[in-house]
Amino acid sequence: MVIHDVIVIGAGLAGMRAAVELAEAGLDVAIVTKVHPIRSHSVAAQGGINAAMNKADSWKDHMYDTAKGSDFLGDQDAIEVLCKEAPENIKELERMGAIFNRDDKGNIAQRAFGGAGYARTCYLADRTGHSMLHIIFEQVIARGICRYNEWHVVEVIVEDGVARGVIAIELLTGKLHRLHAKAVLLATGGYGRVFSASTNALSSTGDGMSLALRAGAPLMDMEFVQFHPTTLKRTGILMTEGARGEGGYLINANGDRFMHKYAPNKLELASRDVVSRAEQEEIDAGFGDDGCVFLDLRHLGEKKISEKLPQIRDLAIKFEGVDPVKDPIPVKPGAHYSMGGIMTDIDGKTPIKGLFAAGESACLSVHGANRLGGNSLLEAVVFGRRVGRGVAKFAKTAKLYPFPEDALKNAAHGIALLMNREVGESASKIVDGVRKAMQKHCGIYRDKKSLEEGLAKVRQLAAKLDEIALVDTGDIFNTEMINVLELGHIVEISEAMLLGALNREESRGSHSRSDFPTRDDENWLKHTLVYLEDGKFRVDYKGVSITRFQPEERKY
Amino acid sequence: MRQVIKFKIKRFDPMGAEGNAPYWQAYNVKLDHGMTVLEALLKIEKNDDPTLSFRRSCRSAICGSCAIMINGTSKLACHTQIAPEFEKHGEMVIGPLDNYQVLKDMIVDFTPFWMKMERVKPYLVPKKEPKGGWVITNEDTKVIDASQKCIMCGSCNGACNSQEIDEGYIGPSASAKAWRFVGDIREGDKRLRLDRISQEHGIWDCVRCVSCTEVCPKDVAPMTAIEKLREEALAEGLDDNPGAKHALALVDSVKRVGRLDEATMTFKTLGFLRSLGMIPFGLKMQMHGKMPHPILFPAIGKLDEVRGIYKARERQRKNERKKKG
Amino acid sequence: MALNYAYYPGCASQEITKEANKTTRKVAKILGIGLHEMPDANCCGAGLMTDYDRKLWLTLNARIFAQAEAMGMDIMTICSTCLMVMNTANKELRDDPVLLKEVNDLMAKGVAKGSEAALCYSGKVEIKQLLWVLAGEYGLEKLKAKVKRPLSWLKAAPFYGCHTLRPSDALGFDDPEKPWSLEAVIKALGGEVVDYKGKTRCCGFQVDLVAPDTAVSMTAKRLLDAKDMGADCMVTPCPFCHINLDNYQGMAEKKVARKISLPIFHLPQLVGLALGLNEAEMGLDRHMVSPESALNK
Repeated sequence: MVIHDVIVIGAGLAGMRAAVELAEAGLDVAIVTKVHPIRSHSVAAQGGINAAMNKADSWKDHMYDTAKGSDFLGDQDAIEVLCKEAPENIKELERMGAIFNRDDKGNIAQRAFGGAGYARTCYLADRTGHSMLHIIFEQVIARGICRYNEWHVVEVIVEDGVARGVIAIELLTGKLHRLHAKAVLLATGGYGRVFSASTNALSSTGDGMSLALRAGAPLMDMEFVQFHPTTLKRTGILMTEGARGEGGYLINANGDRFMHKYAPNKLELASRDVVSRAEQEEIDAGFGDDGCVFLDLRHLGEKKISEKLPQIRDLAIKFEGVDPVKDPIPVKPGAHYSMGGIMTDIDGKTPIKGLFAAGESACLSVHGANRLGGNSLLEAVVFGRRVGRGVAKFAKTAKLYPFPEDALKNAAHGIALLMNREVGESASKIVDGVRKAMQKHCGIYRDKKSLEEGLAKVRQLAAKLDEIALVDTGDIFNTEMINVLELGHIVEISEAMLLGALNREESRGSHSRSDFPTRDDENWLKHTLVYLEDGKFRVDYKGVSITRFQPEERKY
Repeated sequence: MRQVIKFKIKRFDPMGAEGNAPYWQAYNVKLDHGMTVLEALLKIEKNDDPTLSFRRSCRSAICGSCAIMINGTSKLACHTQIAPEFEKHGEMVIGPLDNYQVLKDMIVDFTPFWMKMERVKPYLVPKKEPKGGWVITNEDTKVIDASQKCIMCGSCNGACNSQEIDEGYIGPSASAKAWRFVGDIREGDKRLRLDRISQEHGIWDCVRCVSCTEVCPKDVAPMTAIEKLREEALAEGLDDNPGAKHALALVDSVKRVGRLDEATMTFKTLGFLRSLGMIPFGLKMQMHGKMPHPILFPAIGKLDEVRGIYKARERQRKNERKKKG
Repeated sequence: MALNYAYYPGCASQEITKEANKTTRKVAKILGIGLHEMPDANCCGAGLMTDYDRKLWLTLNARIFAQAEAMGMDIMTICSTCLMVMNTANKELRDDPVLLKEVNDLMAKGVAKGSEAALCYSGKVEIKQLLWVLAGEYGLEKLKAKVKRPLSWLKAAPFYGCHTLRPSDALGFDDPEKPWSLEAVIKALGGEVVDYKGKTRCCGFQVDLVAPDTAVSMTAKRLLDAKDMGADCMVTPCPFCHINLDNYQGMAEKKVARKISLPIFHLPQLVGLALGLNEAEMGLDRHMVSPESALNK
C-alpha cells in the first residue's frame, strides 16, 4: 500500500492544476490517471478561455452572460468566483509559460464567442486546450509530482462517511493497488461517451461521477448535456465555436443563412443550446442535407483560415474530405459537454468528508443548464486552483483514517468474478445498446414517453452487467476489461440522466422537453440531485444561488 | 458492395499462448466511407477480437495516444484514412511503433520517451519579468510556434534513424520541446538546457535523416528545431564538441575556398590527436586516390562574392544581437 | 527538346567521389543531356551551415540559384544532400517573399564589392538530381532504348538514403513511404531489384566524425540488410551515402565482425555500365570495395 496526503484522480486541466497547488502547499500529492496526463481530454478544447481583460469589459458583464447562458440555473456565488478570478488566472498561466495570440499592440487577443456580450475569449489558434494542458503538465513535472499513469481507479474507498483513498488497477500488470490518503479529489472529466455520437474522447466515460455516486455522494443536474452545434457529420469531431467567432456562417442545404430566424441579434453566436436547436429545426423542416447543415468559412479566405483555424482545416480535410477554404463543412449538433456532475460546494467539497471534485466532473454549478463557450477551460483552471487550495487546507489538518482491511479483497473479488465468468453477455453489445438508447431518448429534444422508453431500455441492459464474460483474460493491458469497467459507469450515469430529465417537466437551457416547451421558474428553478442508495436511485432537489441577476427571459 | 480489406496486425503478448515472440494475425474489415485506421481497430476489437490492445482516446489527432506503424511509417491511427493508404500500398500492415519496447500488441513502453523529455527541463524557467508585465508579440512567438504544436505522440522518435542505433540519443521529440523553451523570449535558463543537449547523445548526434519532420502529424518539424538549437548553442559559445566543431569547420571552409574541404574539416573536427588515429584509414583512401589534397585545394570562382556575403551577414548578426541585448 | 541543366556536382564529387562526377558527364553526353558548368557556384552548406546561421545559409544558396537563373536553366546535381539542402532553401525563399527580399538585399550588400554584376534571385529555379531527371524528364523508356548492355545478371539493392526523399514537401518528386524511381531506373537498365528494409534510411554520414559508433553501426545495418536479401551490389544516387557504404565498409565489417564485400555503385556508374562504359572510364578502380564480383565477367 502506498500513502500520500492527497490523491487526485484524473490528469486533465482541473486535476493537474489542483495538484500543482497541493504541491505548492508542501503536500505529498499523487495523480492517478487512466491515460497519460497529456492524453486527457482537456487537450482537445479548441476555441479558447474567457476572461474580462479589457477595460471596456468587466467581470460583472462576464458573470451576467454566464448566468444568462446557464438559463439562470447556474449558482451565482460560484459564477462570481469564476469571472472575478479569470483575468489573474490567465496572467498566471502566462507566467507558467502559456502563449496566447496577441493583438497588434502586443496585448492578449480576444475573439468573440457564443452568448457573450464582449469578445473576451483568449486563445492560441484553435488549440487552446492543448496549450493549457501541456503547460500545466510542465508545471507538474517541474514540481516532481508523483504520477500513476495508466492506472484505472476501480473504487473510491469511503467508510463511516470519510474518504480513505482508492483502489486502482495498473494496466501494465493487471495488479490492484491500494492508495491510501487523507483526501481524494475527483477530476475525471465528462460523460459525453454515454452517447453514440459525441465530440468527446473515447475515454470520457464519466468514471469519477459514478465512483462518487457509488461512494455515497450525490450527482447534480445530470440531465443537462450540451449539444455542440458544429460537429463533423461522420465522426462527430468538434469544429470550434471559434470558427463562428472568426466570422463563419451557418447555412442550410439551400445555401441560406438561417440563424436570423432563431436569434435575430446574436445570429451564429447565440448560445450553444439555441444554435443547436435551430439547426435541428432546420433539419427537421427539410432544409438539411442528410441530417446536416453547413459551417461556411469560405468568405474568411485561406489566409485567415490557415492562421486562426489551422486545425479545423486539417480535421475537415482529413476526417470529412472537405477543404473549408473551398467548400462548406457538413455539421450537426453533437453531445459535447456535461453540465452535470458531482455536487460540490464552491470549494469543491462533496458531502463526504475528504472527498472533493473539480472540473467537468464536478457540478458547482457555474454552467447551470447550458455552458458558454470558453468557460470550461476557465472553470478547470479557476476551480482547479481554488479547490486545490481548499483540499490543501483540509489535508494539512486532517487525520489519516485507516484503510479498510477488506477493501482490496472485495475489489479483487469483483474483478475475479468478471475475469472468471466463462460464458455470458458481450460488453460491446450492451454498450452499443445503452448509447443508442441515450442518443435516441435523451438527445436534444425529449418527452415523457421517449424518456420512459429510454429508461426501461437502459435498466434492462444494466441488469445484464453482472453477466458479462470476457474474451481477454490476460493481465497485461486488458483493454476489454477496462471497457467493461467503463461500461459500468456509463450505465449508472445514463440512468441518473434519464431520471433527472424525466422528472424535470420544463425546458431550460440544453434540456428541451417538447411536452413542456417553456421554462418554469416557479417549480423548476432548482438543481436536480441523484443519489444511489442500496442499489436504487433517489432524486432530490436543492435551491439555486441567485445573488446579482434575477432570472429573466432569455433572448439572443 | 463495400470493400473488404485485410489488416495484417503484428501482435505480441508476453504472457500469451504464443510465448514471448511477436506473431502476425489477419482480420477482415468492411470499409466504410472515410474510415480511419483507428475506426478499423475499434471495429476489430468490437466484432472480432477483444484481446487486441491499442491506445486510443481523442480520435481527432490531438491527444497523441494512437501512433503506430502503418505500412512501415509511423502514423496516428486516427489521422489515417484507410482508402488512400490501401490504394498506395496495396495492403494494410499494422504494428507497434519502431524504436520502442513493445509491451503488448500496439502498446509500447513510453518511459524512455518521457525520461528524455525530462532531460531537457521541459518547463519555462522565466527571466525576471519586466515592470508592467511581459509584452509579447505574435512575431516573438513565431519561432517556437511549430514546436508548440507537438502532441507527444512519439511518431518522430519511432522514425528517428539515430535512435534506431543509439537508444540514448535525445531524440527529435525532446529536442522540439527543448527548442520550445530555448526559443521563448521569457526563458531564463536556456544555456543550461543547451549545454546539457550539446553533450554526447545530444543534438549533434542527429543524422539529419529528416524522418521526424517527414512523419510528424502536426507539422512540428523537429529537425528544424534541432537546427535552431544548434544555431543557438553555437551563438552561446557552446562549441567544444565534435558536432559543433564540424559545423564550424564547414562554415570556415566555405569562407576560405567556397566549398567543403573534407580533409581540413576532419582535422578541425577531431583535433590533432584524434586525427592521427585516422591516418591509416587516410592512407588507404590515398591509395584509391580518395584523399583531397590538403594544401592545394582549389577555390571556386568569384570567391570574393562569398566572402562579401559572409561579411555583410556578420555585420547584420552583430546588430541583431545588440538589439536582443 | 534537348535537356539542358546548370550542373552542380556538389563538393564531394569534385574531390572524394570524383568518379561520380566523371561518369555523370560521360553518361549525360551519351544520353544527350546538356550539362553546363557553374564555376562560381559555392557550397550549399551541406546541411551544416543551417546549424550556424540560417540566413547566411539561405543567402549563399540564393547565390547559387541566381547563377542558374542567369543561365536560364534549372539545376541538376548528383548529390542528394545538395538536393535536399537546396530545395529546402528554395522552398523557404519561395514561401516567404519578405525573406526572399531580405536575402536578396544581403546578397547585394555582400556582392557589390566583389563583382560587377548584381546577383538577384526571383524564385524561379528548380533543383533536380540525376535520378529525377532520368526517371522524370528524360524518361525511362528513352533510357531503356539507350541501353547497350542490359544488366540482366545483376541483383541491385537501391539505396535512396534520406535526402532524395525527405522532406517530401520541399523535394516532392518521389514518395518517401513508397519510393519507386531508383527501382524503375534499375529495371530500365535491365537489372533485378532487391527490396530490403533500410533502403530509405540513413547511411550515417552526417555523424561519421561526431558519433562514429552510431555512424558505423548504421552503415553496417544498411549493408547487411541488403546483403541478406541477396543483393550483388547497392546503388545510390548520393555520394555521401557512397562514402559510408563503400569507404567505410571495412569499418562496418569490423564492427559486426562479418565480411560483407558488397560493391557500391554510384547511380551514374550503374547507368554507365548499361550504356557500355568501361571500368576505367567510370573510375571504378577508385572504390574501396572491389566491384569485380558484380561486373559479370
